[in-house]
Amino acid sequence: MHGRPRKAYKPEEEAASAAKAVKLRSLQNQFMSNHHAKIYTKEAIDLSTKLLEINPEAYTAWNYRKLAVEDTLSREESNPDLVKSILDEELKVVESALRQNFKSYGAWHHRKWVLRKGHSSVGNELRLLDKFQTLDSRNFHAWNYRRFVVELTNRSKEDELKYTEDMISKDFSNYSAWHNRSVLLSSLLAKAEGFMPNEKIPDEYKLVHDAIFTDEDDQSGWFYHLWLLDQTVNVETPLLTSSWPSHGSCINLSGGAGCLKDSSSSKLTTLCSDLGSFPLILYFDQAVGGVSSSTVTVDSELRGNEDLVWEPVSNKNSQVSSVWVAHLKFMSSEPCFPKEYTVKVRIGNSPGIVSSRGCNFSTPYEFVFTAHVHDTVREDSQEVVVSWTDGFDIWDAQSKDLNFLVNLDQQMGLKWRQEAIEEEIELFRALSDSKIGKLTLARLLMAKAMISENGVKGVHYEEILELYNDLMVLDSSHYHYYKDEHSVASLHKVTSSTESLSRHLFRYRDMNNSVCLRLNNLSLSRIASVEKLLFVQMLDLSHNELHSTEGLEAMQLLSCLNLSHNRIRSFSALDSLRHLKQLRVLDVSHNNIGEHSVDTTRYLCSSPLSNSEWTEDEVGRQMTSLVTKYWDAYFVLRDLNLKQLDIAGNMIAGDEFYTLVPQVVPTLVWLNGHRVRS
Amino acid sequence: QLGFRVDLSQLNRRRRERRFEHPSNHRGKGGGVMEELPSITVSQREQFLVENDVFGMYSYFDSSDIATQKFMVEIQRDKQLDYLMNGLRQLGPSFSSLDANRPWVCYWIIHSIALLGESVDDDLENNAIDFLGRCQGSDGGYGGGPGQLPHLATSYAAVNTLVTLGGEKAFSSINREQMACFLRRMKDTNGGFRMHNMGEIDVRACYTAISIASILNIVDDELTRGLGDYILSCQTYEGGIGGEPGSEAHGGYTYCGLATMILINEVDRLNLDSLMNWIVHRQGVEMGFQGRTNKLVDGCYTFWQVNLLTLLVSFVADGGFRDKLRKPRDFYHTCYCLSGLSVAQHAWSKDEDTPPLTRDILGGYANHLEPVHLLHNVVMDRYNEAIEFFHRAA
Repeated sequence: MHGRPRKAYKPEEEAASAAKAVKLRSLQNQFMSNHHAKIYTKEAIDLSTKLLEINPEAYTAWNYRKLAVEDTLSREESNPDLVKSILDEELKVVESALRQNFKSYGAWHHRKWVLRKGHSSVGNELRLLDKFQTLDSRNFHAWNYRRFVVELTNRSKEDELKYTEDMISKDFSNYSAWHNRSVLLSSLLAKAEGFMPNEKIPDEYKLVHDAIFTDEDDQSGWFYHLWLLDQTVNVETPLLTSSWPSHGSCINLSGGAGCLKDSSSSKLTTLCSDLGSFPLILYFDQAVGGVSSSTVTVDSELRGNEDLVWEPVSNKNSQVSSVWVAHLKFMSSEPCFPKEYTVKVRIGNSPGIVSSRGCNFSTPYEFVFTAHVHDTVREDSQEVVVSWTDGFDIWDAQSKDLNFLVNLDQQMGLKWRQEAIEEEIELFRALSDSKIGKLTLARLLMAKAMISENGVKGVHYEEILELYNDLMVLDSSHYHYYKDEHSVASLHKVTSSTESLSRHLFRYRDMNNSVCLRLNNLSLSRIASVEKLLFVQMLDLSHNELHSTEGLEAMQLLSCLNLSHNRIRSFSALDSLRHLKQLRVLDVSHNNIGEHSVDTTRYLCSSPLSNSEWTEDEVGRQMTSLVTKYWDAYFVLRDLNLKQLDIAGNMIAGDEFYTLVPQVVPTLVWLNGHRVRS
Repeated sequence: QLGFRVDLSQLNRRRRERRFEHPSNHRGKGGGVMEELPSITVSQREQFLVENDVFGMYSYFDSSDIATQKFMVEIQRDKQLDYLMNGLRQLGPSFSSLDANRPWVCYWIIHSIALLGESVDDDLENNAIDFLGRCQGSDGGYGGGPGQLPHLATSYAAVNTLVTLGGEKAFSSINREQMACFLRRMKDTNGGFRMHNMGEIDVRACYTAISIASILNIVDDELTRGLGDYILSCQTYEGGIGGEPGSEAHGGYTYCGLATMILINEVDRLNLDSLMNWIVHRQGVEMGFQGRTNKLVDGCYTFWQVNLLTLLVSFVADGGFRDKLRKPRDFYHTCYCLSGLSVAQHAWSKDEDTPPLTRDILGGYANHLEPVHLLHNVVMDRYNEAIEFFHRAA
């Protein structure tokens, strides 16, 4: 009960309280009739005072008083003394109501309303707040009111910062004070007048160390520390993290389903698309909106690309995403010699790209790549079944093939950030025997990896992985959280250098030696580092612990994906694959799909399809009961242009489901290794 | 006295089997739903009740005085239906502060009865409908009692009560058109909603407005315009959501904000990773949940935070069907949430490396959670019936 003692009522107390209730009822009745008759006499107003003193929740009475005040003010505007005394009376009523219930929304709101009239002394408000905040230093109504008063009076933010410091030094555990400090500092740092992050943030680290090292078990300091870390690492303005094609790269394009026989050029940069277009992918460090042909200009001689359409790779309904894609057409029907085109992409020359927090993409960026368009090879490659089990050869990657892995260097003012993180790491290595100490150290080490100019060594990631391994054992209640962080660190490690990444790259013989990225058997529970893997066309994620494909939607070139032996539990977990227009081969065998399907008869609806668009769909009309039963599969599969699907070893797999699949996916040739009978 | 009288001796404690035999019963479709549920023990029911009632109105609970809190906790604790029925008849004088919240009392009690698989008799049902009808303002919305100013929170309670009662009479007692006008009047230019005319703007108001509009099928662009931006401005750096821009993150508001974003189909705009992180770390060493950073663990937060976690799991861990269909939003989202929930529960109860927390709490209420709609907190079959009715009404 929020720290309040409960006590039983004694009989005499009950009698008193019954008498009080009778009184209240009569007050209420009189008040209501005054309110509806719009009676604003002194007696009527006094009556509402009595009512509010007993029951501050009576919001109708607060409104009545506002109307009554307005009524008097409209007649007495020329008498400032009277106006002031009326408003002071309102403040008094609020104060006694707050004494009755400190958490009354109506009372606090009424006080703000009075203050906005501008006739009251604000100094009183701060004194009153000090009194209240001493009694209950965590009351969020009081803190909200404090922020309101400060804003209204233009009290300096520095003074308020000092106030939070006083509150914190009285009690390190007062998270409300820490929170307010972060809000104040954010706005001071944003203005940057005398408040430079490179000076202030290191000071803040010192302040929070006092709290953390005084009482290691207290959460408040740790959360503030996390905020500081965020301020140290992240830049508010959105940046371009990577693109495909990358700057300076040379890509080979070919139409048709088959591929180039000759592979003098790197397989990594060869794209065969039966769509006659290739995706241009922009990957930002945070979700942005406003990517369009006016904010991104693409100059090339490739014809038919005058009005490029940029689409966010995310929710259809949402116009922000960290991944944006446009499809550039290329012609390959002309006589058979390669043609070379230069493509120049300029981002952010005109304003309009804005983060979801409202920050502008302010550093224009330009990159150039060349595209060789090859003649279409008419070869029917449908016959090939991708097996995943053998036919992989070590790939002799040359570092120049992978030079796109180098980060786009756009970060500004890195030095103080690196130094601050370095100092924290030193400090927390000494404290890393506690759970929160280990977690903080792991986060600091990840932060270092993110802002180091020349990347960090594998051994650095080993330390992070070790910390998360420890945490999984020490703190099993947060196991899944640590597991996910561990996966993120593992993938950062893999993509941290050309050497480590090339260990996972193989040639697949059966598909003209296409390059396959094999991240199998890494016990991954989550996908990360996708921004460095935009080039991947064939990906093996088998034998991991993935629950979802979230993140893969950015890999717009992906055509073959192996997710077998993971922990996918439903087709809805594969939803992000709908964005992959090139995907042709999908292996989701040996997962848990269908094991806990949504039993729609048990839950709310006969099916979510009951009154939706599917009835307009041919398959939906013909196979109503199957579609209703497998609605989640239906929604994902009908958007995929698969040629090969492997789904054996799942609960959902069975004759009934197999009847539906080819109807929903008419392009399908192979199902579980068998040719689909048409 | 709280508004409507009923003679306790007339109350039938009808078992749910009987409910479906009743000729005037329109809930036939949901019948099988309840029959298939595994039977739950009394203590499980009790636990469920505790969790749910607090979930029902966390922020109100936090802001109310001791007498009110005591009453709410007693509803939750007491497993006797008689107590609940009695509460509908008459509350002791110490509950006078609930005077501005009478629809809430109806909701807590009637919802609790429904959660127990029971329903009130016709007299009581008619009384409740009549009483709430008198709370309904002539230009839309419900006040805390007859003659009181329409208020979003009491409107939410009234609508949920009527949905829980179910049936043509209860549904058609709601003036949808006027309710839409009321909601539009409460809409502020900053995208958020006011609790009542000249009242405060906050995330509670946003949630109650959108929950009402969604059940009554009156959501339109005017109501949702700028709302996502407003909620987004209340998300703090830690990932949780505060009551208003600049406020400290708070479990109750975080639920309201997240549910609002799901209902208006803009949940992707929130920083879900940091929200997940925030919720995970609200769990203290005692394995309970805190409402805010560094507050004492309190049982009443358990449902909120776990419910939050559940909503999130269905959107984050399972990837997801976020955007598929615009039109049948309610069906769709509910199914989606539930599929995620079902996945989460089963996953956690089966895994060898299951954390104790999730086994204790999620596993514990896995059986009971099924019949409640996570976004509106009304019993599922009542929700279905209402949605069908209001889709026909549109």
